[in-house]
Amino acid sequence: MLTILCTFAALFALAILVAMIAIVVIRGAGGLSWQFLTTDARNAGAAGGIVYHIAGTLLLVLTAAAVAAPLAAGTGIISHFYLPPGRGRRAIERLLHALNGVPSIVFGLFGLAVFVRFLGLQKSWLAGGLVLGMMIVPTVTVAFTEKLRAIPRANIEAAFGLGLSRPHVVTTVILPQSAAGLVTGVLLGIVRAAGETAPILFTAAIFAGATLPRGIVDSPVLALPYHIFVMAQDAFDPAMTRNLWATATVLLGIVMTFSAIALPLRMRLHEEARHD
Amino acid sequence: MTERGFPILSTAGLTVTTAGGRTLLRDVTLQIPAGRVTALNGPSGVGKTTLLKCLNRLIDLTPSVRVTGEVRFAGDDVRGGGIDPDDLRRRIGTVFQQPVTFPGTIAHNVTFAARKIGLIAKRDEPDAVERCLTAAGLWNETKDRLRDPATILSVGQQQRLAIARVLAGDPEVLLMDEPTSALDTRSTAALEETIYSLKNTKTIVMVTHHLPQARRVADWVACLCPREGAGELVEANECELLFDAPEHPGTVEFLSCCSG
Repeated sequence: MLTILCTFAALFALAILVAMIAIVVIRGAGGLSWQFLTTDARNAGAAGGIVYHIAGTLLLVLTAAAVAAPLAAGTGIISHFYLPPGRGRRAIERLLHALNGVPSIVFGLFGLAVFVRFLGLQKSWLAGGLVLGMMIVPTVTVAFTEKLRAIPRANIEAAFGLGLSRPHVVTTVILPQSAAGLVTGVLLGIVRAAGETAPILFTAAIFAGATLPRGIVDSPVLALPYHIFVMAQDAFDPAMTRNLWATATVLLGIVMTFSAIALPLRMRLHEEARHD
Repeated sequence: MTERGFPILSTAGLTVTTAGGRTLLRDVTLQIPAGRVTALNGPSGVGKTTLLKCLNRLIDLTPSVRVTGEVRFAGDDVRGGGIDPDDLRRRIGTVFQQPVTFPGTIAHNVTFAARKIGLIAKRDEPDAVERCLTAAGLWNETKDRLRDPATILSVGQQQRLAIARVLAGDPEVLLMDEPTSALDTRSTAALEETIYSLKNTKTIVMVTHHLPQARRVADWVACLCPREGAGELVEANECELLFDAPEHPGTVEFLSCCSG
């Protein structure tokens, strides 16, 4: 009986994913074209394409990755290499869990208060990238630390046995052997960041009137999730509805592409960590 | 520079306990002569590796152990304030039980640490690689494939590569923790030959369970035995004397177990 229930649960979860992808793709496929992907939006999204939305989204997630990678690397190395097992290490792990649980809208408000207003960045790609970067730090750190755990203890001890200092061991042994974990974490983080609307709502995205940013301060961008968010509220025009679903298909495609690269790497890291 | 035969390393009252209160080593007082091969013998779990790690403070990397007593290297207290533990580990290099290869070529494996520390300049790297691989008895086998990954080497060759890597740091002492335990007979013979050739220039401290090996390569032997759950040094003497006329009952028992 339990086997049947578990099988049913697993099939149901799979069905949700398949149904979601199917609905988005079936509704959006009709609106996809080369022109849609390579031109700017017109008539409030009812005509034209989404080239600057794709560019804006990529700029935001790449900025987030650039912010999150060093923070995650530093956190992972401090917690697993400098701190002895015990309270300090556990405290960092708990903080990361807590950070991961913070609602994304709260990150958005934090970004508004700190980056947009206090630091004076105004609505800009940098403010949005910083907020998204902070949001994905736990995801990147977890993948990175799994790889750190998989580095054979003997390698680290042998490096110290040669007279290398702790920073030397980090740069010659730890980082080269754990870089794949950082890359995987960043890819997983990008998957999460690409679809987020709330953190960029107040910090980076506008609906229309932007192309590629020409500066840092007060340089907002167009972004796919925000575009979908706004159009979904006002989409009575069939052309706009078609473009809404086509945009969702593109966003889903970007996310699935990053997932397709990241998830097999993640599974491999997990196995390596388990067998250490 | 310590004169050959005089103590280069010494311990006095060395005791190692875990955070849980278990004593691993108790009150070990030992002198290790310079320019000789000293073998540390004793049953498994008696603390030979722990003793080895105390000599160059590799034990510091093990959390939750407490070391008391004294360890001196060339007259200096290694736990004293004036000693840089990284420099100490370079001067007292370690070869581990399982050979460790790092990602990269054979040549990179030999020199990467010495280059990072600043002991070898980039232009001197080829000479250093040849010198260290020759000293480790591996040059003839690897001179045509220095740019190949180190992982292609056999386990025995990897162990000699580990010795070459330690030698690149120009240590005064080599600590070897059962360096032949993972090797077949042929590789063991090659490694013993390497140890034999190194004893003219380096002080070697080697953990080994293999008594015939200790007889072949060691000049001086220290025997540790368990008492009340902790390892204690029961006897240390010239190799021939300790094996042929052991004085302590623990040594006699260990030797008879191993030879019988």
